Amino acid sequence: MRSRVALVGTLLILTCSSAWSFEPSMNYALQCMGCHTPDGSGTPGRVPAIRDTLLSFARLPDGRKFLVQVPGSSQSMLTDAELAALLNWMIETFSGTKAFSCFTAAEVARYRSQTLVHVRAERERLLHTSR
Amino acid sequence: MKWLDTLTERSTRNLARRTSRRSLLGSLSAAIVGAALMPLLPIARGAAADNGSTGTHPKPNDDPTSCDYWRHCAIDGFACSCCGGSQSECPPGTEMSIVTWIGTCQNPVDGKHYAISYNDCCGKSACGRCQCNRNERDTPLYVPFQSNDYNWCSGSTKANVPYHCSTARVIGEAK
Repeated sequence: MRSRVALVGTLLILTCSSAWSFEPSMNYALQCMGCHTPDGSGTPGRVPAIRDTLLSFARLPDGRKFLVQVPGSSQSMLTDAELAALLNWMIETFSGTKAFSCFTAAEVARYRSQTLVHVRAERERLLHTSR
Repeated sequence: MKWLDTLTERSTRNLARRTSRRSLLGSLSAAIVGAALMPLLPIARGAAADNGSTGTHPKPNDDPTSCDYWRHCAIDGFACSCCGGSQSECPPGTEMSIVTWIGTCQNPVDGKHYAISYNDCCGKSACGRCQCNRNERDTPLYVPFQSNDYNWCSGSTKANVPYHCSTARVIGEAK
């Protein structure tokens, strides 16, 4: 029994897992894609491209906060667990790598309770930092 | 006056002999219940047959030129199928918006839910035909990320493009 628990625990660590009602790809379609476009490239000057910045942001402590606190994430109707799963799916899908630390519902909940007011300025600062 | 007394007594006794004490209650109740049941009789009502373009739509159908078309469950605008386009193509002379509102609708044929993208067609003045306003699971503007109450044409690369109509493209099964 103990080995089975350990095995399940290992599997949970190996994959970014969580419970959600829709698959993350469908939540991307329903919550993000309408503006950020199917491949995450957005509309220059109007909707920010997310596909090239997700991974670098996910590797910065402030970047991880930003990804959760940006209004499209924090104000979405997703639960913390769904948002965590969606962010993990987006980072992996658009960057093509699993070499990042997964968001958990607890981490999302921690950042989500704080409001990000100066979204653009913070994004510019992060872009500058991650360069 | 005695004859009146006798007459009244006889008729009262006659009435009492012929009817039970509860018959008044019985007939009165029947009248009350009957009156209450009258509106339940099957009568054709003109108002019930009104199938306007707004309100709840319990029976989705297969006609893309109808507001009751199953893909139109969350539409807010003119259906492109009535405007020279189709449920997935813009009419000639218009351009499909890049940004769009996406929701899910249940297909009555297979019972599955599909993600539907309501891409607006932009570049000509408002179509004006088949104005559908179903908005199922749309949220008010103060819940902005689930609200479809925007002119999605203004999100395209060209500024201030007029809105013409809305498509309803299936982008996948919702699961």
